[in-house]
Amino acid sequence: MLFFSVFKTLVGKEVVVELKNDLTIRGRLHSVDQYLNVKIEDITVLDADTHPHLLSVKNCFIRGSVVRYIHLAPKDVDVELLEDATRRQLKEMKRAQMSASS
Amino acid sequence: MAGVQPSGGIEEPLDLVRLALNELVRVRLRGQRELRGRLHAFDQHLNMILGDVEETTVSVEVDEETFEEIITTERRKFPMLFVRGDTVVLISPGITT
Amino acid sequence: MSDVGGGGDGGSKTQRSPSEFLKGVLGRPVVVRLHNGTEFRGVLACMDGYMNVALEQTEEYVLGELKNKYGDAFIRGNNVLYICPQQA
Repeated sequence: MLFFSVFKTLVGKEVVVELKNDLTIRGRLHSVDQYLNVKIEDITVLDADTHPHLLSVKNCFIRGSVVRYIHLAPKDVDVELLEDATRRQLKEMKRAQMSASS
Repeated sequence: MAGVQPSGGIEEPLDLVRLALNELVRVRLRGQRELRGRLHAFDQHLNMILGDVEETTVSVEVDEETFEEIITTERRKFPMLFVRGDTVVLISPGITT
Repeated sequence: MSDVGGGGDGGSKTQRSPSEFLKGVLGRPVVVRLHNGTEFRGVLACMDGYMNVALEQTEEYVLGELKNKYGDAFIRGNNVLYICPQQA
């Protein structure tokens, strides 16, 4: 859930989504769901010469499982907040595990 | 039994990654990729956010005429990167070269 | 989630559960072999139910050749083929 929350704060920002098949798409993050599927608006495909069939595509839905990286702008990310949120989420996981096993 | 453990200890593998928060890490990915950067966030799938990242990709091509193996190393830099956990093979805290 | 299987009090050579085997190799030098053929040799610090593994003093071998050394290493469980004790 941590990254779902993170990406919700990035809605409306410019991102670059790099897929496992090396296709790279730049655009504005329109929405995200719990699987980290994303919708991207106003897209441009990097290396468009090798993917001319995508030239006319304006918006797209990307299944989370085909994503390799999402490049972010450092100004859109508060790293201290991320680190605290990561520690908090791990504690919650441990607590849930312990109450399940006892 | 259900007490709180000291935050420093390693009793499960993810603790090793937790102790690397805000530290430099090496991450090996599938497909001969390696990342070096500062770990800012991760979850149980090993999805991660890294800062100041350098990616190294090694690819081997075989020359069709001489059958020689040509090894090329490509480097890229990213200021801030989300990495999907399913391609992660190994995470090692600290950079030792 | 952090324990694999369960078992009786072990001891007998013929009946030993996977979890007892794993308890026995904790803190010991092991070989972790991945699906892609890579082998990691190091001291097994801990593991969990996903077969995620933490190793210390790790050496990476590809085709029997030492390729890398890591102080500590977390290995994502889905890549693991097997874990076995290192022969002395």
